Amino acid sequence: MSLKNGTNNSKSTGQIIVVTSGKGGVGKTTTTASIGAALALKGKRVLVADADIGLRNLDVILGLENRIVFNLVDVAKKVCKPQQALIKSKKSNNLFLLPASQTDEKDVVDEAEVKAALDQFRREFNFILVDSPAGIEQGFKNACAAADKALVVTTPEIPAIRDADRVIGLLTARSVEPLLLINRLDQNMVRRGDMLSVEDVQDILGIELIGVIERDENVIVSANCGEPVVYNPKSKAGMAFNRIAGRLCGESIPIPDLGADSIWGKIGRLWA
Amino acid sequence: MFNGLRNFFSNKAASKSIARSRLHFVLVQDRTGLTNEEMASFKSEMCSVIEKYFVIDKQGFDIEYKRETEMTTLVINSPIVVRRQEGQKHSAGSKHKHKQNQNNKAQTEESSDPQPVVAG
Ligand SMILES: Nc1ncnc2c1ncn2[C@@H]1O[C@H](COP(=O)(O)OP(=O)(O)OP(=O)(O)O)[C@@H](O)[C@H]1O
Ligand SMILES: [Mg+2]
Repeated sequence: MSLKNGTNNSKSTGQIIVVTSGKGGVGKTTTTASIGAALALKGKRVLVADADIGLRNLDVILGLENRIVFNLVDVAKKVCKPQQALIKSKKSNNLFLLPASQTDEKDVVDEAEVKAALDQFRREFNFILVDSPAGIEQGFKNACAAADKALVVTTPEIPAIRDADRVIGLLTARSVEPLLLINRLDQNMVRRGDMLSVEDVQDILGIELIGVIERDENVIVSANCGEPVVYNPKSKAGMAFNRIAGRLCGESIPIPDLGADSIWGKIGRLWA
Repeated sequence: MFNGLRNFFSNKAASKSIARSRLHFVLVQDRTGLTNEEMASFKSEMCSVIEKYFVIDKQGFDIEYKRETEMTTLVINSPIVVRRQEGQKHSAGSKHKHKQNQNNKAQTEESSDPQPVVAG
């Protein structure tokens, strides 16, 4: 099988995508779990890796918290075989989790160790999604170490966009291609001119947009149940994550127009 | 809609416009790594350099630090009133004001952390 967007390692096939944001709490873990599950639904072999060492959460979002034996740090330190640390999802035979360690400090591993640990999974998986911790320190650097691409998650708010801008600069310097994912958009607020629109955010950050997720209660319901929101085919967030997965597979799926600037928003913009 | 009307009649700009201009301000600082004062003196020095060769409209002079997909550009927007005639010193433009908008683009490579920009 040959995949688009090959990696720097010629023997490998899978691509590594880090999900990062700078600011905390904007939806990195939700995004990693949802897009991972969506890609698996499309028949891809997917590994989701939790690089938030010391504050792991991807396991609970996927409902796999009671099956953890080994973790990313164990793989990086060669305490176990790579395969031994993987946990298969209950819902899909194509989706696997590599959990983070909950007891270690973020800097017990370095970039080279994490890169080596993740690179060895490229042969077996089409996609490896890495959930990054918030911030731009060692944990972030480790999460990016092996990445070919990055999903930069932001909400349409000043602090999140500012931090995303910072992260985009750092990613570009590392030759990791950044793609923009806007989360928790509220169409009504955009229409009445009280929230930055997709257009605004894209214009400010100046990188390619991969998709937009609306604020959706189903995200919280799914998190409560430990089942990614993409398994709820009627939820807006679930559908949007599925579309992003399609785009990552190279399908050309248009991004729906979510509360484009109203006339009032435009007038407001003229006045600013 | 109602909120739109309310904002319209109360003459209150929609809050997203405030967000936009505040973001613009912080991002220029973040991206260039220059303080307010440094930015101001960079602007006025750039202005004087251009004024050595052109008569410009200082009101319209603006510096933007913009990221596009391929590279980051420093856009120096300087409306030129007229090209300075030979021998002409600092007197204002001629009678025929040919207003041209000239974009002098200085391109900088994106580097790891925001760094002071070198205009090329
Ligand atoms: N589209 C959405 N609609 C509603 N709630 C959302 C949405 N996306 C995320 N949330 C909620 O926001 C909270 C933070 O999400 P999440 O844990 O994915 O963020 P994070 O970026 O991983 O945070 P951290 O930086 O702490 O790791 C969660 O409670 C999640 O359920
Ligand atoms: Mg998280």
